[in-house]
Amino acid sequence: MEPAEVEFLAEKELVTIVPNFSLDRIHLIGGDLGPFNPGLPVEVPVWLAINLKQRQKCRLIPPEWMDVGKLEEIRDQERKEDTFTPMPSPYYMELTKLLLNYASDNIPKADEIRTLVKDTWDTRMAKLRLSADSFVRQQEAHAKLDNLTLMEINTTGTFLTQALDHMYKLRTNLQPGESAHSQDF
Amino acid sequence: MFVSDCRREFYDVIVTQRVLLLVASDVDALCACKILQALFQCDHVQYTLVPVSGWQELETAFLEHKDQFKYFVLINCGANVDLLEILQPEEDTFFFVCDSHRPINVVNVYNDTQIKLLVKQDDDLDVPAYDDIFRDEEEEEEDSENESEGSEPSDKRRRFEEDVIERTMKRRQRREWEARRREILFDYEQYEYHGTSSAMVMFDLAWVMSKDLNDMLWWAIVGLTDQWVQDKITQMKYVTDVGALQRHVSRHNHRNEDEEHALSIDCTRIAFDYDLRLALYQHWSLYESLCNTSYTSARLKLWSVQGQKRLQEFLADMGLPLKQVKQKFNSMDMSLKENLREMIEESANKFGMKDLRVQTFSIHFGFKNKFSASDIVYATTSLMENIEKEGPETTNFIKALDSLSRGNLDKLHQGLDLAKKQLRAIQQTVASCICTNLVISQGPFLYCSLMEGTPDVKLFSKPVSLCLLSKNLLKSFVCSTKNKRCKLLPLIMAAPMDVEQGTVIMVGIPPETESSDKKNFFGRAFEKAADSTGSRTLHNHFDMSIIELKTEDRSKFLDALISLLS
Repeated sequence: MEPAEVEFLAEKELVTIVPNFSLDRIHLIGGDLGPFNPGLPVEVPVWLAINLKQRQKCRLIPPEWMDVGKLEEIRDQERKEDTFTPMPSPYYMELTKLLLNYASDNIPKADEIRTLVKDTWDTRMAKLRLSADSFVRQQEAHAKLDNLTLMEINTTGTFLTQALDHMYKLRTNLQPGESAHSQDF
Repeated sequence: MFVSDCRREFYDVIVTQRVLLLVASDVDALCACKILQALFQCDHVQYTLVPVSGWQELETAFLEHKDQFKYFVLINCGANVDLLEILQPEEDTFFFVCDSHRPINVVNVYNDTQIKLLVKQDDDLDVPAYDDIFRDEEEEEEDSENESEGSEPSDKRRRFEEDVIERTMKRRQRREWEARRREILFDYEQYEYHGTSSAMVMFDLAWVMSKDLNDMLWWAIVGLTDQWVQDKITQMKYVTDVGALQRHVSRHNHRNEDEEHALSIDCTRIAFDYDLRLALYQHWSLYESLCNTSYTSARLKLWSVQGQKRLQEFLADMGLPLKQVKQKFNSMDMSLKENLREMIEESANKFGMKDLRVQTFSIHFGFKNKFSASDIVYATTSLMENIEKEGPETTNFIKALDSLSRGNLDKLHQGLDLAKKQLRAIQQTVASCICTNLVISQGPFLYCSLMEGTPDVKLFSKPVSLCLLSKNLLKSFVCSTKNKRCKLLPLIMAAPMDVEQGTVIMVGIPPETESSDKKNFFGRAFEKAADSTGSRTLHNHFDMSIIELKTEDRSKFLDALISLLS
């Protein structure tokens, strides 16, 4: 999968906005949205929220996990544990990027949030690399990793599976020689 | 007619229509266009953008598109001529004109249906009253009807005499009225000047609709600064407009004061600055900037050896070592940069440069990017008038338009480099003109003509660059000459435009005085001189004081001007 595809899937997440226009319920294929009344918060998917924000028709309210205190706790916990801790949202990286790019004026302390999320991401990626490395070394048959988000899986997924395929081919190329030997005996 | 409620009578009308935008080629128009484009994007308005650089292009664009569009928005063009006569539109086409050129043509003011002027009412417009200019034609017809009525012979003679007396009275009244009308119109249309910047008018529209953003405010600031850099408005008007914009700036940018709720560093921040008047000094070295800004080079007389010595004295007076001053401004020592503005102001007062600091604004986004409004004006002007042809005619315009957006910093930096070249070329040309005494007094005005072989003369075949050159030249000339009378004269500048076709571009600028009102009478003067001598001239530019004419007709044209103006 391309990262752009993962971002596209992430845009379906709901986020709260405060519109400045009024509109009745709109019926879309994915479900109903609205009604929109100026000044009243309403939940919409991220793709609509970003579009409305660019057209200056709403104000975005950051999700409750996008807060300096909470993100610091999450980052510290991630650093303490050896395994992956559950993340506040399965699309935390994409949402942070989208919201901070288009609506950073609605999010308090945007720079610190960006740094904290990046720190957490770096820690998790390091753990992922470590775990892939030990998986290959110990030639395990299967491994189970909890609490990974789709974006993280996507960064290593293709590479890891192709690498394992290559290694399997290399290993099986050794085997026929041995088995031939043993048969002749 | 004037639009009183911009939002209802202009924006709400076009928001559901397809619109054609005709934008003139100057930075103020570009900024107004950007603001309007941003508003259109918010509301998904379908529009077509056509850049025009003169009346001919305006007419061709109109003829091309008149079947597809009913609503036309003209930015910085069209207010000072009779639009209906030039364009001959259908009954149901509407023109919205947002133009800073004055005086506004009276037909445009008093037309109730097709032409709407987006102009601030409190600009001093002095439009003549309706009755003074237009007169109903009905009275003529009544006279002729009375004449053809038949009646009895005895009364006929008496009535005939009464009729004759009445008719002569009416004819005399009519002649007086017409003479007064000609006088009023002459006074009204004699001087050309500029009103409020179109970018500011567009920003007010955005503000009324509560859709104003910091970016749009910045474009309004750049539009106003363009008017100031090109000397189109008086100092007082500039200061008043800066005050108005400052209120908006503090409204949008007060959050940056507070540490707790400060915005992300990536957000656009605009700050009010009482900054130095030196062109591009933060992107150049201080030395280069001092040499190439017209204000300093004119006052210090940098074209002469004495002037160079004075520059060294000036720098020594401030305690700035030459090595520091000649390197890039960003690499100067922090200790020198900290009090630079105050130091320069103090020393400048001693050297006769009292207004070295000027009220302006600067923008700041990310960690690296800080630009002052005049930097952007110079960069955009030089991008727009870039003589290197890189494609179809309009690429320069589009490039300049793009460079105003935050995301296109590479174009902006290219513009800054071109601006440095342009400023250097202007200073060298001014220095050579003054040293070789090319500026001659022709009686009622000064005249200077650039020869074809002059270095960088191709740069000056574009109107805005030539205007900047002429203004610099006049300022420097006024500082260099000892003749008191010459100091008060206006200047006409000529430069070769197209060598193959043998045309010359000529601009006329008003005299340089401390409190000039920037009113330019050369527009009408050029027209009259062209008529009287039959010279082949092209009054193509929206500014009437810029014309093109054939090189052979130059001398008789000038003679006609001299006799007209003396």
